[in-house]
Amino acid sequence: MSYLTGKFPAAERRMIILAALVLLPVFFLPVLPIWTMKLWAPQYREGLEIVIYSNTIRGDLQNINILNHYVGMKAITPQDFDEFNYLPQALTLFGVLALLAALVNRRWLAIVGWLLFTAFAALMFSDYARWLHDYGHDLDPRAALKLPSFTPPLIGYSRMANFKVLSLPGTGTLLLTVAWLLGPVAAWMEWRDRRRAARPS
Amino acid sequence: MKRGIILILVMATALGLYSQLPGCSGMGAARGKSAAERVYVKPGEHDAYYAFLSGGHSGQVYVYGMPSCRHITTIPVFTPEPAVGYGIDEKSREMLGGFSWGDAHHPGLSETDGNYDGRWLFINDMPNARIARIDLKDFKTHQIYGPIPNLSAAHACPFPSPNTEYVFAASRFSVPVPNRAARVEDYAKEFRGIIAGIKVDPNSGEMSMGFEILMPPFAWDLSDAGKGPSHGWSFFTCYNSEMAFDSLEVKASQAEMDFIAAVDWRAAQKAVDEGKAKMISGAPVLDPATVKGIVYLIPVPKSPHGVDVNPTGEYICASGKLQAEVTVHSFAKMQEAIAAGKFDGERMGVPVLKYEDCLEAKVPVGLGPLHTQFDDKGNAYTSLFLDSQITKWKVGPPWEVIDKIDVYYSIGHLMASEGDTRNPTGEYVVALDKLSKDRYLSVGPTHPEAAQLIDLRGPKMELLLDFPTYLEPHYAQMIRAEKLKPFTVYPLAENKTPGMIARAEDARIERKGTRVDVYGLVVRTHFVPDIVRVNVGDDVYFHWTNLEQDDDIAHGFGICWSSKNMQIEPGETKTIHWKAERAGINPFYCSNFCSALHQEMQGFIEIRPQGSSTASLQKPSPEKVAAVSALLNE
Repeated sequence: MSYLTGKFPAAERRMIILAALVLLPVFFLPVLPIWTMKLWAPQYREGLEIVIYSNTIRGDLQNINILNHYVGMKAITPQDFDEFNYLPQALTLFGVLALLAALVNRRWLAIVGWLLFTAFAALMFSDYARWLHDYGHDLDPRAALKLPSFTPPLIGYSRMANFKVLSLPGTGTLLLTVAWLLGPVAAWMEWRDRRRAARPS
Repeated sequence: MKRGIILILVMATALGLYSQLPGCSGMGAARGKSAAERVYVKPGEHDAYYAFLSGGHSGQVYVYGMPSCRHITTIPVFTPEPAVGYGIDEKSREMLGGFSWGDAHHPGLSETDGNYDGRWLFINDMPNARIARIDLKDFKTHQIYGPIPNLSAAHACPFPSPNTEYVFAASRFSVPVPNRAARVEDYAKEFRGIIAGIKVDPNSGEMSMGFEILMPPFAWDLSDAGKGPSHGWSFFTCYNSEMAFDSLEVKASQAEMDFIAAVDWRAAQKAVDEGKAKMISGAPVLDPATVKGIVYLIPVPKSPHGVDVNPTGEYICASGKLQAEVTVHSFAKMQEAIAAGKFDGERMGVPVLKYEDCLEAKVPVGLGPLHTQFDDKGNAYTSLFLDSQITKWKVGPPWEVIDKIDVYYSIGHLMASEGDTRNPTGEYVVALDKLSKDRYLSVGPTHPEAAQLIDLRGPKMELLLDFPTYLEPHYAQMIRAEKLKPFTVYPLAENKTPGMIARAEDARIERKGTRVDVYGLVVRTHFVPDIVRVNVGDDVYFHWTNLEQDDDIAHGFGICWSSKNMQIEPGETKTIHWKAERAGINPFYCSNFCSALHQEMQGFIEIRPQGSSTASLQKPSPEKVAAVSALLNE
């Protein structure tokens, strides 16, 4: 119990602040992609791109929608995603929590924040997987080209009709992962220090 | 799993790098490579140069890639081109001004500081005295200026000045000024030539009248603008200073000397601005008999043809045509003679300088010299029509011929890589021949023209490739490819064309009296609307906007049983007029293959008997609007 209500040593505290700084400012701006999907076809050797940010989708959307309509896929539009209305705010909230934990210097606050963040990330991943599944399965039965339903890859490479698709996390997700990892790292550093302190010299 | 992800990351990097690979320029050192290797551009790679060949009496401009000598496209300029609807859609039809033919001779790339800047290409229509401007952002004709008043047969045209301040034109076939009923026998008394300076707006490229100079009725033939020290001057050769009006072959070939007219275009513009010009047919015309200091005549032997200023701007090289020499005049000597007032009389008010006072050298190049181009090492290349050769000679003492190469056959112009600028690249010259005879597979009596690509990089000229062209390139221009950055789709956000619609919800058909306006859009693979109801006698204006923003996804609009067809490029709006003449059904369709369901991209015009009560506003079905709208909703 005293562990949870305890304070951070200086090095660990700096880590939490760093995590906060990584989380805090960037996600209101569509600068760092969360996820990217690149598509190649014989006549699109230069590739088409979908780039997902915390608050919108960009890339060759009109073109991809025009191509997708032949197989009856729903058009991809940023307005369809409620997620964009809370994702940046949520990420910022986790940043604020981390910052608060470091400022008031309470370990329990950091742990609660980290756990919420982890749960939220898991939720978002499953949400993303659901969207991908829906796009590939909710096909207009009146479409000109009838295609068996499919699921675009969450991560990695696959082939769909005449398209090759590569789906990868973006720099935003890499930064989020770093911020997330700083939690366990801080905990490990502290554990190591305590063991050293406990060892008779 | 981890290894899988790493593999994917490696693949992504590799694919990323692959997609970044630029089209190789193929510019490597040529030495030691065979002719075939030097012109071979690997599949998927790009040429190092664009070449713009005039289309002669086809009225068009041909675009080639060099050194592969591949024909890339044809730009319609003075002649309708139904494939893209040039001269058929309302805007280009208006631009052609009722003409369906032009004779395009001399392409001239815009210049900054005497070097090609890759912004515009100007080209003349000789018989109708017009100049067109092609924008090299979209390779489309954007302006046709003319017919230039008072001026007849703009052959010495456009030959832009070093900062594209002006393009020029001069009368090859003099006529009365202003043109009026006259007897041809009164040629010397009634007929006059015109040299015109046409201003070019430095930002838009838009041409407008600058000045005209009334000249003796000689046959003003070719032109080049001064550069460097001679910047501010422009030079025009002539034949027929005899002023013959019939049987010119003999009668215009008698005088020992014809002339170069040297025009001080800054002085000419100043005189116009000071109100010294007389307005004739809407153009300010300067008469050298009363306005001094704007134009001088320099004698040149025997009906000269081409006049070309060397890259340093010091020398004016005139090709003798009926003489086996290039006459090189010195700009500095000419200026001295003008300053000293050493004139040998006047021709119709234009002071004549003395031949010897301006002469720098005579170079015995060979028979029938026509045109000269330059390289980066101080050499000149002159085409020889009668000898069917190109002569390489040294600009400067000892003014000697260095090399000759055969071409096939009867060369007219030649085009060196950036060879008429202040900084030629000295890599290639193309011979533009008038006869092909037996060079290619026979296609009957109408032979193609012939051209040869020649390598200038070695000590001797070397023939690389022989290729046919359609009728009939005269002059041409060759510019390094990286100077051009064309865009490939028109940005929809910048489309302000009248009749443009951006949303399927706005598609509609409006009728007022017998005028019907169809505001529609095209996108893979829809016409919205695809059913149009009109009455016999209606004038129907189709305004189609292509909402695509993808490379190479142009749509066509062709109406069955009509001469109406056009191509609408991505992001473009075009209007076409069609008259409903017979009751019945008239299909229309996408005439430019666009995508997998191109065949399905069609519609119907329902033509009802005259006076039927057809709705004044028709809209496409809500279902169709919703389907197309979903595609475009970003």
